[in-house]
Amino acid sequence: MKPFSIPSVFRFKAVLLGLLLLVLPVSAGRVPVIPPVPDPPRLVNDYAGILQREAAGLERLLRAFSDSTSNQITIVTLDDLHGHEASQVAYEIGERWGVGNAKYDNGVVILIKPKNRNGAGEVFIAPGYGLEAALPDAVCKRIIDDEMIPYFRADDYVSGVISALRVIMPLAAGEITAKEYMPGNEAWLVLASVLLMLGVFTWLAIMAERRKRKGGKGNNGNNTGGPVGPFWFPTGRGGSRPGGSFGGFGGFGGGSFGGGGAGGRW
Amino acid sequence: MKKYSVLLIVLALVIVIVSWGVSIYNGLVQKDEAAQAAWSQVENVYQRRMDLIPNLVNTVKGSADFERSTLQDVVEARAAATQVKVDADNLSEADIARFQKAQDALSGTLSRLLVSVERYPELKANQNFRDLQAQLEGTENRITVERKKFNETVRVYNTAIRRFPRNMVASMFGFGKKGYFEAEQGAESAPEVSFDFGKQA
Repeated sequence: MKPFSIPSVFRFKAVLLGLLLLVLPVSAGRVPVIPPVPDPPRLVNDYAGILQREAAGLERLLRAFSDSTSNQITIVTLDDLHGHEASQVAYEIGERWGVGNAKYDNGVVILIKPKNRNGAGEVFIAPGYGLEAALPDAVCKRIIDDEMIPYFRADDYVSGVISALRVIMPLAAGEITAKEYMPGNEAWLVLASVLLMLGVFTWLAIMAERRKRKGGKGNNGNNTGGPVGPFWFPTGRGGSRPGGSFGGFGGFGGGSFGGGGAGGRW
Repeated sequence: MKKYSVLLIVLALVIVIVSWGVSIYNGLVQKDEAAQAAWSQVENVYQRRMDLIPNLVNTVKGSADFERSTLQDVVEARAAATQVKVDADNLSEADIARFQKAQDALSGTLSRLLVSVERYPELKANQNFRDLQAQLEGTENRITVERKKFNETVRVYNTAIRRFPRNMVASMFGFGKKGYFEAEQGAESAPEVSFDFGKQA
């Protein structure tokens, strides 16, 4: 063994830490708690590094669940809540990330803060509005007390999470099915009718303009290519909607949260 | 032919002005309805708490020789809060303030009750009570969230009716200012997002 060799894992961690230190001072002045929306989108966000090798397997499991039921369950682990209530942090993550489908609000945030030098362990299960009936507070509380905390006390976070998911997934799946999932087109309908009306007005104005030119001032040459559009004719469309990709996990769907759920400490 | 084009311009101008007014009016109606919808969510979560209380009181009463005065305070505060009605069409500042005062009084008696329960270990171990406590905590979180959402929609609405030229349309059709929930002492510091990602404040 060489005296000062650093194992590559540690070196990797050191690089990560260095990167974090570079990024963190940007938001100095307030304590950052809520991570930004993961890009590329992920359902398992193990910032505290407690799920380790199992994170990829859990990600696959939750993606498959999201694909088949449209319920999005996200797991977020954080090292420190900086004195905030776990309930508020879980709610803010759900609301800001938009976990779940916007129409059904069928997201679930499972927040875990491991027991560490920053204080006691905390866990919170926050269902979106649409899953409050499937996952009532008292049920969330029992899942935490009976399925998670016994494992968490023994530092076995993976088993606690899997044991909880075994209860949460069937409960959530009873609420809506993928069949009911259909993206709404109402916004496009409105836009289409507005464009249609604008088109009709424009056509009318152009026709009037042409007739005026032909009848009043004689032939000016061919004007179809010139700026004959009336003043309301849009010169360009501003901004496009950020579209999610389809197939696989395309990202969070804009689900909303009402603050329900339950938490526990150990 | 000239007459025709003048007519067309006048017609277009009238259409533009009317549709501009209509769109402002519709925008205000939409914001008004958003505030009312947010209000009905606020009422829902407070009602949810109201509905939990009789159950809580009975469980506490049945399970332990609990001090009567604390229970009595909760029951009375609940009764008082039930009396306060808010006109959802106006959501005036006075109405919201009265509503908040009554509900906050109830919150105070409830938290005193839950603190007292700490002295009754067999009650704390009772599964029925623990379920109720989880529901009550969840309801308090919901109240925090819905109050925040309500304040946000009201802020959008209040800004809209005060800004020129919308304030003309607003006063023409009687859109009045709405009330906010005041932050509880030191309670409402929402956790921050760690990076700014281009969202408006």
